Amino acid sequence: MTTLARSSYRAVVVGAGILGLYTAVQLARAGAGPVLIVDRGFLSSGASGRNGGGVRQQWETRATVRLARESVAAYRRFGREFGYNPWFRQGGYLFLAENERDLAHLKTVHDVVTSEGLPSRLLDPDGVARLLPGIAPGAAIGGTYLASDGTLYPFPAVWGVYEAALRLGVEVALGVEAQSVEVVEGRIRAVATSAGRVETGSVVNAAGGWSAEFARRAGLTIPNTPTRHEILATEPMKPFLDPMVARTSDGLYFSQTMRGELVGGLAPRAGHGAADGSRSSPEFLTQMARALTGLLPRLGGLGVLRAWSGYYDDTPDGFPVIGDDPRLPGFVQANGFGGHGFMLAPAASVRVARAVLGEKVDLDPAIFSPARFLTTDRTVPPESLLLG
Amino acid sequence: MADAPARRFLFEGKARASAPNETLLTALAEDGLPLVQRSIRYHRPRGPMCGAGYCTGCLVRVNGRPNVRACRYVPAESDVVTTENSWLSPRFDVYGVFDFLFPGGIDTLHGFRRPAWATPWYHRVIRRLAGYGEPPDPAAATVATPPPLRRSVDVAVVGGGTSGRAAAARLLSHGLRPWVLDRRLSLPSVPDVEVAPATTVSFLPPRDPAQSSGFTLLGYEEPNRGVSISARTVVVATGSYDGSLLFAGNDRPGVLTGDGALALAPPGRRPPFHHAVLVGSDARADFLLGQLADHVDAIVAPGAIPPQLARHASEEEVPLFPRTLLVRASGRRRVRSVDLRARGSGAVFSLDCDAVILAHRRLPTPQLFFQAGAKMEWRAGTGAYYPVVTDAGETSVPGLFAVGSAAGVTPAGSAASGERAADAIAGRPSSDTSPLARVVRDGPSELEGYYRELWRTPHSGKWVACPCEDVLLSEVEEAHARGYRGIEVIKRYTGLGTGLCQGRFCLPDALLVLAMLEERPPSEVGYITQRPPVVPTPLAALGALDQPAAPTGVP
Repeated sequence: MTTLARSSYRAVVVGAGILGLYTAVQLARAGAGPVLIVDRGFLSSGASGRNGGGVRQQWETRATVRLARESVAAYRRFGREFGYNPWFRQGGYLFLAENERDLAHLKTVHDVVTSEGLPSRLLDPDGVARLLPGIAPGAAIGGTYLASDGTLYPFPAVWGVYEAALRLGVEVALGVEAQSVEVVEGRIRAVATSAGRVETGSVVNAAGGWSAEFARRAGLTIPNTPTRHEILATEPMKPFLDPMVARTSDGLYFSQTMRGELVGGLAPRAGHGAADGSRSSPEFLTQMARALTGLLPRLGGLGVLRAWSGYYDDTPDGFPVIGDDPRLPGFVQANGFGGHGFMLAPAASVRVARAVLGEKVDLDPAIFSPARFLTTDRTVPPESLLLG
Repeated sequence: MADAPARRFLFEGKARASAPNETLLTALAEDGLPLVQRSIRYHRPRGPMCGAGYCTGCLVRVNGRPNVRACRYVPAESDVVTTENSWLSPRFDVYGVFDFLFPGGIDTLHGFRRPAWATPWYHRVIRRLAGYGEPPDPAAATVATPPPLRRSVDVAVVGGGTSGRAAAARLLSHGLRPWVLDRRLSLPSVPDVEVAPATTVSFLPPRDPAQSSGFTLLGYEEPNRGVSISARTVVVATGSYDGSLLFAGNDRPGVLTGDGALALAPPGRRPPFHHAVLVGSDARADFLLGQLADHVDAIVAPGAIPPQLARHASEEEVPLFPRTLLVRASGRRRVRSVDLRARGSGAVFSLDCDAVILAHRRLPTPQLFFQAGAKMEWRAGTGAYYPVVTDAGETSVPGLFAVGSAAGVTPAGSAASGERAADAIAGRPSSDTSPLARVVRDGPSELEGYYRELWRTPHSGKWVACPCEDVLLSEVEEAHARGYRGIEVIKRYTGLGTGLCQGRFCLPDALLVLAMLEERPPSEVGYITQRPPVVPTPLAALGALDQPAAPTGVP
């Protein structure tokens, strides 16, 4: 039975995923005072331990490009900062267009990305084939490529930030559930956990796929929905593929990891949610296999090693939610990353920590603030480049 | 069969021949123990180990297709077979220098972080070292994928061993039409029952128990035919396999499981070892002694040796070493000797040998039960998980039956367990309701005490906790020392259990070691989620199953 070291904390972070851990590190570095992280699972049991490790800066929205760019810089220096090597390999992201409509979409993204000073490239089919050897003839009419995007190995990143948090005096309570938030006169007074009640004025909801569930426990309704995504890994091979490859039409994405495995997934379709929990469905296995061999026929004889699944925390407009919830001051939302939490965590955590400390957050509230869901007049078009 | 023409194939550019139906592994073993692989990280020499298509010791490239298991492949005329994962050859692999340079292992978690400018070079070298084979040749893709096999059946029996065959025969006698799936290359026969040569890789119970949608089984037939089965009732008779053991040099070529030794010594063939140390003390060791007596020089047992095996050994004039620790296997490209130490005393002594045959622990094959979400229980007798079953063998998942050694039934009761399940499925309860003898459930596992004592013995050298991914035991100990707890986290920290065998040869020992380190029962250390597919399954076979088609009825 876990016992907590203190009865009162400056902030309680719910969720020991990459974002919760990173946020706690930022708070501790800022000298915020005692910070507690609770997570009912084990370390890396959620999406932070189940994702494909992609880190990309190609987005439709400038604000997201900037966050992603900061994250790339953070992951580049991660090994020297945290002592663990996440093997962040900048092999680029290759987006494939199957038809003119997809290509037009990618061109809009390309314009945004280049206007932010990143050297994204528009590719013709030959350019695509050079980056994706063995692609089936006619499988792509073009694409975009940004060489400084990349992939990493999520686990060492989790261990690195976790151990840094511990060194900075953050208390990480694993296997402990945040059960409810005690509110007195519109302010947070305490959090009830399965290891006892702790007083605090700030709560960070970094619960990923369970963020809506936890918000309810604080009496708040948020429009986030968890969606189950599946992923598989093949037998390890010698290196043959440098970039992460993603296709907008069906959400196919895959990359070759440092270990040589091809790891990737597909946008959910009917049947994928059929198996419960973290299990895998036969529908995913067969659809993913067909999509992969359709694109790269030479892989037909390659074995699928294992498949697993995890939850995305999706929002209606495709943007994450970062900031103080206006309905309950001190309740900071840090969720809704829709499968992109790992890649944005380093940059996002800086803003989450500022929100906890009551400092100004340099993010467009119309895009990121929890308040955006409380009004009806929306001005920002939704993000639609959501795969990979 | 002896009269059938031999198959001729090329192995590393040299002409070779094999008898029809003979595996590539036994064909290559004619010249001695085949050495066709290097390990994935340290490029240590690796030989065939399990003989059952799980380990990575016999992976070869066949006609441009990587990672083909020689023990599961029957050569075809004019096949081109090459070795993988070595620079020069598996005997002289330049990359093997990393094994010498890093006697304590390479720390990829904390290493290679500085200087920043070297990052791309580190990536290049590590990527080159990792992986087994080169990607498939584009030409390999032209091999046609046969249309998949789809069936809807009343009862699917997974596994055609003693209990599965008994279940199928009894189902037939009750007027039911069972369908047997078996992954072995030489299929068992059950009179009047169709036996399909398929490996079941993904298994789900009915989506909605209220509807009779049935179980969904996905599988494949070598090399790339997809199989999809819908069955109202499933009898899982996946049997058991010989487990591994931790000691220094436990991955050396020549360290074999009992199954591996038998795969290398088919009837009428001289095995590629003649002075083996057999590890084990129960009926399995006795059986292996009977099969391989001329080639066994000593029997070593973690615990006591029962009188029956002792008598048998004395008839064969094989010396016994009961209650003995196996501390080390020495020899680089082949085991040359083992270091032993009598339990409770101090002296380490050596025995010369050319193989170590592990038969100390017969482990169940439980993946399908875990996948189906059946309730499992820890049984200390072997130190493994088994499904919780009724007397008739029904698991906590309605319609899913577990029989034979996969359900913890001891060999003598194997056939009876299959028959009882068949009787229950047919709605005709057996008259014999005496309990079947099963693996002991309570108490400590014998190996727990063994490992505790082994830990106190001074030891050095590479102990490979996970042979597929080359994870060293020292990495598991380091993860523990840093405060990481539970097998799921240790798996993610070290990579243990994420390789080709899906944890078959690392997980059982890792659970015992972690139980010892964490000072709690193995059942509290947890278990790794068993993820489909059960064995690596070709993308082509799975992809072909994506086109929906109406299932055909039982023929």
